[in-house]
Amino acid sequence: MTDFGATGSHPHELRRGRSLFDLDDRTRRRNRSEGAFRWLGIGAIALSMVFIVILLGTIVARGLPAFTQTTITIEVPLDAAVLDPNGTGDPEVIRSVLTFGYAPLIERGLAGTVAATGVETELTSSQLPQLLSPGVAATLRDMVAADPSLVGQTVQVEALASGRADGYLKGRVTRESLARDTNLSPAHLDVLDALVEQDLARRAFNWDFILGADASESRPEEAGIGVAMIGSFYMMLTVLLLALPIGVAASIYLEEFAPQNRLTDLIEVNISNLAAVPSIVFGILGLAAFIQFAHLPQSAPLVGGLVLTLMTLPTIIISTRAALKAVPPSIRDAALGVGASKMQSVFHHVLPLAMPGILTGLIIGLAQALGETAPLLLIGMVGFIASNPPDGFIDGFVSPNSAMPAQIYEWAKRADPAYYERAWGGIIVLLLFLLVMNVLAVLLRRRFERRW
Amino acid sequence: MFDNRISERRTMTNEIKIRAEGVDVYYGDNHAIKDVSVDISDKMVTAFIGPSGCGKSTFLRCINRMNDTVASARVDGTILLDGEDIYDKRVDPVQLRARVGMVFQKPNPFPKSIYDNVAYGPKIHGMAKNRAELDEIVEKALKRAALWGEVKDRLAAPGTGLSGGQQQRLCIARAVATEPEVLLMDEPCSALDPIATAQVEELIDELRQDYSVVIVTHSMQQAARVSQRTAFFHLGHLVEFDETDRIFTNPTDPRTESYISGRIG
Amino acid sequence: MPIFWLILAVLAIAVAGFLGARHRALSLAGADRRSLHSLPNYYGWSAAIAAMLPAFAMLALWVVLQPIFLNMRAAPLLEMDAGGAAALAMADVRRVANGLALGLSSGVLTPDQVASITPEEVRSTLGAIGVALGSEVSPQTLAAAEVYRAGQSAGTAAMSVVVLALAVAGAAWIWLRTRPETRARNGVERVMRYALLSAALIAILTTLGIVLSLIFNTVKFFGLYPADEFLFGLTWSPSFGGGSTLGFVPLLWGTLYISFVALIVAVPIGLLAAIYLSEYATSRVRSIAKPALEILAGIPTIVYGLFALVTVGPFLLDIFGAGGVLGVSWMRGATAVMTAGLVMGIMLIPFVSSLSDDIINAVPQAMRDGSYGLGATQSETIRQVILPAALPGIVGAILLAASRAIGETMIVVLGAGAAAQLSMNPFDAMTTVTAKIVSQLTGDADFSSPEALVAFALGMTLFVITLALNVFALWIVRRYREQYE
Repeated sequence: MTDFGATGSHPHELRRGRSLFDLDDRTRRRNRSEGAFRWLGIGAIALSMVFIVILLGTIVARGLPAFTQTTITIEVPLDAAVLDPNGTGDPEVIRSVLTFGYAPLIERGLAGTVAATGVETELTSSQLPQLLSPGVAATLRDMVAADPSLVGQTVQVEALASGRADGYLKGRVTRESLARDTNLSPAHLDVLDALVEQDLARRAFNWDFILGADASESRPEEAGIGVAMIGSFYMMLTVLLLALPIGVAASIYLEEFAPQNRLTDLIEVNISNLAAVPSIVFGILGLAAFIQFAHLPQSAPLVGGLVLTLMTLPTIIISTRAALKAVPPSIRDAALGVGASKMQSVFHHVLPLAMPGILTGLIIGLAQALGETAPLLLIGMVGFIASNPPDGFIDGFVSPNSAMPAQIYEWAKRADPAYYERAWGGIIVLLLFLLVMNVLAVLLRRRFERRW
Repeated sequence: MFDNRISERRTMTNEIKIRAEGVDVYYGDNHAIKDVSVDISDKMVTAFIGPSGCGKSTFLRCINRMNDTVASARVDGTILLDGEDIYDKRVDPVQLRARVGMVFQKPNPFPKSIYDNVAYGPKIHGMAKNRAELDEIVEKALKRAALWGEVKDRLAAPGTGLSGGQQQRLCIARAVATEPEVLLMDEPCSALDPIATAQVEELIDELRQDYSVVIVTHSMQQAARVSQRTAFFHLGHLVEFDETDRIFTNPTDPRTESYISGRIG
Repeated sequence: MPIFWLILAVLAIAVAGFLGARHRALSLAGADRRSLHSLPNYYGWSAAIAAMLPAFAMLALWVVLQPIFLNMRAAPLLEMDAGGAAALAMADVRRVANGLALGLSSGVLTPDQVASITPEEVRSTLGAIGVALGSEVSPQTLAAAEVYRAGQSAGTAAMSVVVLALAVAGAAWIWLRTRPETRARNGVERVMRYALLSAALIAILTTLGIVLSLIFNTVKFFGLYPADEFLFGLTWSPSFGGGSTLGFVPLLWGTLYISFVALIVAVPIGLLAAIYLSEYATSRVRSIAKPALEILAGIPTIVYGLFALVTVGPFLLDIFGAGGVLGVSWMRGATAVMTAGLVMGIMLIPFVSSLSDDIINAVPQAMRDGSYGLGATQSETIRQVILPAALPGIVGAILLAASRAIGETMIVVLGAGAAAQLSMNPFDAMTTVTAKIVSQLTGDADFSSPEALVAFALGMTLFVITLALNVFALWIVRRYREQYE
């Protein structure tokens, strides 16, 4: 210390005489704040993980019950006096009986079944059917219409329990919650308990939820996501058929052929901005351009697919360009060197090598499109109950349908808690699809990952 | 080849500042430094030379435990600073680095003002009680780095706006502002033009008055110009360590001679 | 389906052209195939392209222009002023015309019957072949329909002839010009290049489509509702019966308030998570935490919406509502700014953290080394060197997150409520621009009413706000990256 800082109290002077082995107070303090900061980071990660666990936990806990459904086994006398009063045996006459005609039969059957269990109840036989879905009559009618010879016999039916009765077995409905409910009373639950004891009411895996169609507001127990799944399938097919060729062509142009000019800049700016435009705006575009202007049908998966194609194109173009960029220039040079044209070098050499990367990006784009809801609301893919799968393959593109996320939204809007269960169940199905797609993308990336 | 001034000063002191004994460094499976022992004197410039990849920078980074920030690095052996093992469990690398400063290959001023660049170290180490003291420290450090005259009117300007040579002197000012005892310099002139290099070399010679300076360089001329002791590294081994003029005029090891005469490296 | 058959015919001509030109090139080259300039298939492709390109272009043009032309011919016969009613009447004309054409083609009607049909008979006749008409047909409509139908059948016939002629001419022209030295490949590749370019132009077309559909309908809306009352109105109370007050300010307020709450949640957590992952975490922690955060990012927004509605809302109500844990009654219903904001914040955590992660990693290692070399601790280095260095990029990331929050729809539709109000209480239900776009455009809205058209004006403001935020944010981030490249 020749020319400055020679004051005896200077920290530097203190330091110079000190052993490295004892920490001064300031270092201790600094280490404490270091630790605190690190804990802040750990806290942020932990909090995010807690959110994930709560979210996924909620989905699983609330959604799994949708995959089972309660049925009550009843013996229904298919009384010929009701179904075929004149004894004609004519299938046409039998088919003409409305579901109202079956209601008393079901009532009788259920009353008989309950009486057989020996449980005492103050409920009249006309109140008992509240345990069953209003859809049972239609099911029974379809059964008889398919086989008129059943008339006059007594058939055993696995009748769907009503949403609330089902909810009781799943723990969603309690005796207290029924106090303000006119649809079911605690007395019903006593009956139900007795039926469960004798294994006449039981929960079974609910294929109808996965394969079936949506049902009306009063019959949550019958609603399924199958038809919406078909709608989603057609939309994804549209996106795949349009976005893959267009996205790849646009990327090839921008990455391999585009000259440095204003037009190219304009395209690039447009792509990066479109990637950040809110999805609802694409819905407005779809409504104005495809439905108002081009008069395409409302609620058609084709229109949904078109909107989702426009929405996912930027994502797909960005990832495809990255995949093309990852192919080293030496490959292009090698092809050009043996006399291939630029176009040939791209299509014969660069594109095949970039394909795994392109497909990975495509799958991720499709996954994004599959979960998108907002634009579908505007082109009429909610509020519509498609009760049947489409008639033919081509018909599937244009016949009105819903889509999985739109169906979930529709259920979420219905006030009945039984529909919340359906919505969470639908989310499980949707997330399973997304999981499969993402795993596929990861595997593809791993399998074909290449170090140049 | 030698400046007379440098030769005159060589006799000033010979107190050992840093003693390394049997140091081995591994990066994962790569054995980068093999059994290196060396004594570095106080108030003297020690140069590490050798072909690239010989481990000279790696060894330099061991002296202030910068290798701690590389997850795969492992250091065996002992390095003593004033007789205390810097790899002892009780040593806080943060406190160590306040005493062993470092200047890097590429000038790396922080994206802050010139003033804040220099004041950064003193601030985190609590060296100034008030603004006036801090101003004083900054001014002294900039003067020490022979930069004061060029920047005194624009202390609030960003440090990244200076020229390459000025940036490197700013980094040196930043390092000396914390008043270290040892200054490690990792090829400090490799990114500079000849004029800036000359300025920095002159500065290094000045700094020798107060610090023990260790400089890694791939330029033998530079080692000869600024250092009093030179260590020659080759493939992770310390081949030869001696007075600089001995190494350059009369090396004992044939490998040193080959390197000096330009046959390897 | 004449167009379908026409397309097939053109394709058949293209195939013939392909084979013909390919064969001609090969036979002209004779034994020496190397004298061909291009591979044989390119000669074939030239002919196929020459057959298809002009034919399909003409077909598309014709399909678009013919109805416009026929409208111009038929509309004067209706003796109506142009406007909404005339457009509806023209729709009737088209339906009658199509019905008559269907009757003819299916053989139910003879040309004589069509010529002599009276307005009174039309509805029942067409009803019999499955074309339902809403009302009786006026003589003017029938006359216009007859003109329309006649024009249509003549036009379609002419179209078929012209398109087929173009296809044949194109293929034949190339076939005649095919010589071994013809640069067939260059021609084909030029066409391919334009095809690639037109795929890239779809990006511009999409933007143009968005802008046009927004502007067109917004202008229509401002024709029905004063712009200043929309932009500065403090009340939002639409009623589909008319007499709505459509003030934008409460919606903007709700949007900004919810986005603000979301950012308050997402920015600190996302930023700290990114810092921890990039500066502190061991590679094992990183390999678990990063994919986990990606899970959060991959969950569709409808899931978050339901989570807000069914789980978070009631949970908050139990705490802040009347009779809740805290004994305060700040919250009246499960849907509120807080509900939507919190959930949206969770949704944005991975977005903020992955953007910040990229940005923090772009700060050169030399900065960290410089700081550690001076004896700074890791947190001092982060707070005093890395974060200030990364600040512009982080600001950009936050702006991008803000734009996401403002444009987010499903969470607010389900979690924020439907009441538009100007309140400071974060536990009040409020609504947003996006939620109102959904509510105004779903259901059986009449697209010419201000209540429906206002959604386009809302979409316009949403588009402008998010676009400005994005452009600005991307500009900041790009400048930031260039600084370290």
